[in-house]
Order: sequence, then structure tokens, then C-alpha cells
Amino acid sequence: MKIFTKDNKISSLVATNSNLIPVINRFGILLGFKEKTIEEICLEKNVNTDFFLAIVNTYTNENYFPEDELLSFSPLLLIDYLKTTHRYYNQYVLPKIERLLAAVMQTCAENCSSLKMISSFYQKFKTELHIHLAQEDEKVFPYIIDLYHNRVLTEGKSIRKYEDEHTSVEEKLSDLKNLVIKYLEPTYDPSAMVEFLNTLFQFEKDLFDHARIEDLILIKQVIRIEEELKTNAAR
Amino acid sequence: MEENVFIIHPSEIVRKGLALILQEYFKMEITQLSSINDLNSFAAITNNLIIVIIQKGLVLPVETEERLRKNNQFFLISLSASTDTEGVTDGYDYDLNVLASNLEIQKLVQVIRKSASKTKTSNTDNGDLTQREKDVIRQVALGLSNKEMADKLNISIHTVISHRKNITEKLNIKSISGLTVYAIMNNLLDISDINPEELI
Ligand SMILES: [Fe+2]
Ligand SMILES: [Fe+2]
Repeated sequence: MKIFTKDNKISSLVATNSNLIPVINRFGILLGFKEKTIEEICLEKNVNTDFFLAIVNTYTNENYFPEDELLSFSPLLLIDYLKTTHRYYNQYVLPKIERLLAAVMQTCAENCSSLKMISSFYQKFKTELHIHLAQEDEKVFPYIIDLYHNRVLTEGKSIRKYEDEHTSVEEKLSDLKNLVIKYLEPTYDPSAMVEFLNTLFQFEKDLFDHARIEDLILIKQVIRIEEELKTNAAR
Repeated sequence: MEENVFIIHPSEIVRKGLALILQEYFKMEITQLSSINDLNSFAAITNNLIIVIIQKGLVLPVETEERLRKNNQFFLISLSASTDTEGVTDGYDYDLNVLASNLEIQKLVQVIRKSASKTKTSNTDNGDLTQREKDVIRQVALGLSNKEMADKLNISIHTVISHRKNITEKLNIKSISGLTVYAIMNNLLDISDINPEELI
């Protein structure tokens, strides 16, 4: 575990933590880095380096929390990034998990009722996640963009009211995992289950970091803007 | 409890060397930082065992140390150069000398772990559910509120809440729909009692 800086090679970042590949892909940065440093590739791809570092370090170190000076980039950058992530979840990850779960279910010949319960539980989780992502895309982000451009507070509106907590979605995902590991009778093909669980675990981690970036960076930035506007108005 | 070790030292040789020794014997996260102020980025950690090793004579940013100490089992170790006088100095919990042997370093970590686990107050009872807890799960799955459960089972709301807390700790399942699935999989409930399409 280390904190990456702009002078590190981008290849070392990925070699340390391969989970970062989809993360940096979302910046438009694809593999084949050669000897380029983080700063060089950010310059080339027109990505704000501080922003890039704040994201990859938050993803790599569970306990990392970027300091104020690293939070000076525009929240619009972050929103773009988060939206791309939502699209990646909706269009790629969730359909993939669903496909893998369907494949597990197909391998079950008898006593499949528990597995069916797991499948309904997954559907339940997915619906809740969809609602959460849509709420952000349609309500939270537009509120922030508007606040950032127009610099006016609206009575009764604040980021705290808009952004739901992440615990409920995270709890369901963790419950799903525990139910399969601890209580589900193995009446399915184990290899199919391995593929499903691997994808699920990786998604759990990605989603958790995504939520942390929203809570620790975006929300914090917005609260700062709100407070600034409040003090200005009071004057 | 998770363990977090921070080695803060301007010298890469010292950082890497110490990290290598610690990693060789203990499975723990080791974060290497070159400046004391880098620790500020980690001030939000809670409920962990945190060991911070810094150069003797230096102090951590006050606010960060206070926060970490308040929310964690926190130990600050000073790393002294070979010529410094021995002994623990004020402000540090332990002292380590650069000439310490691997064995001494390992011992130190063991001492810290012991004193951390002594103060730990976790309830490690991971046994099976009691009959009462099974009753409670069944009612939770059927969608009853705490108040309704208390009335039905003839116990206080406080007792219902404490049962629910124990259930979650034993099973590691938190959501109501997760508990419902558990109840059906373990035959505490029949699938016909609920509508599986509409898991709560
Ligand atoms: Fe999001
Ligand atoms: Fe979110």
C-alpha cells in the first residue's frame, strides 16, 4: 500500500492494483502505457492530474482521504467521472452478473428453491441500486451542476437532502454474499458459482469505493460551496 | 479489528527495510509515508489497531493524532538512531532503535497486539441462534415492526432490539430481505408465507 504521485509510472500503478484498470479506462486512459508517468499520460489525455491522483489513491487505499489541496478540482469533473461509472455499471457489470447468475441456475437440476431465493434477492438488490443511481443522475448531479454555475442557494434544497446513504445498498450486497457462502446448499456447478462470485466480489469493492468517492470527495466539495454561499448571503 | 501500520520516515532505505521485516512475520497492512503530514489523509480511520512509527523527536499533527487515538487502538513508536539514549520518551508509547534485531521488532509488535486485544470488548459468541432469536427472525421476515413483535412475543421492545442485534452479529446478515431469505433457506418459514417476488 502506497500513495501514488504524479512522477510514478502509470504502469506501476496498474501492476500494484489491477482493479484500477476499469477505473482508469473510465478516464479514457487505456493499457499500453510504455514508460509514461502519471503526469505525462494525464497531460496527453487532458485529464486533471490532481483529480486523477485523488481517485486512484482513494481506490487503492481503503483509509485514504485526500487532503484539502487535492480537492481543488471542479466538481463537474468528478460528476462526469461518476456518471461514466454509473453507465459502466448499468450497461456492463450488472448485465454480466445477471448472466453469470443465470448460468449458475441452469446448472441446478433439483432442490433449486434456495437458489431461486438468492436470485430474487439479487433482483431486489439490483432494483434498489438502479433507483439509487437514477436518483443521482437525475436529481443529485443536476442540483450540483446548477449550484456550481449559478451560485445561488434555494430554500429547502441541500446536498444532504438529496444524496441517500449508501449503507442500504451495500448491506444487501454483503448479505447476498454471506447467504451464498454460508447457507446456500451447493446444488449447482461449483465452477459456474466461482465465476459469479468473483464478479460479485469485484463489483462489491468497486461499488464501495465509488460510494466512498461520492461521500468523501463530491459531497465534501458541495458542502463547502453551500457553506460559502451561506456566509456570503449572511453578509 | 484490522491492523494498520504506518512507517513515516524521510529515508526510503529505513522505510522499506522496516516494512520488509514487519511484513515477513506479520500479515498486516503497511503504509510507507515520507512526511509526517501525509498522515492527515488517514485521520478518518476508525475501529482499527493503528501503529505509527516515526523518527524520535518528531511529533504528529496534533489534530490527527487526537482523532486517531480517540477512534482507534493507537500506538506511537519512536524510531531512534543508534547513538540516541535508550528508553521511552514522553509522548511515545514505545521506542525502537534502528539497531534492533528482527526478533526485537517482532516482540514489540506482539506486545502491542496483546495490549490491544486486552482492551477489546467484542462479543465473540458466534453460536447457533436461540429459539427466541428464531422466533424474532420469523416475525422480521413477515414484515412486523419492533413494536408489533414485542406485543406478539410478549417481550419488551428493548428485548426485541437486542435480539435483532444478536441475530445480525451471529449471521452477519443485516437487511430485512436478507433475513427473510435466510429464514426460508433454513426452514424457519415456508416460502408460501411470503411473496418471493416482493421481498421486503
Ligand atoms: Fe453513484
Ligand atoms: Fe451514490
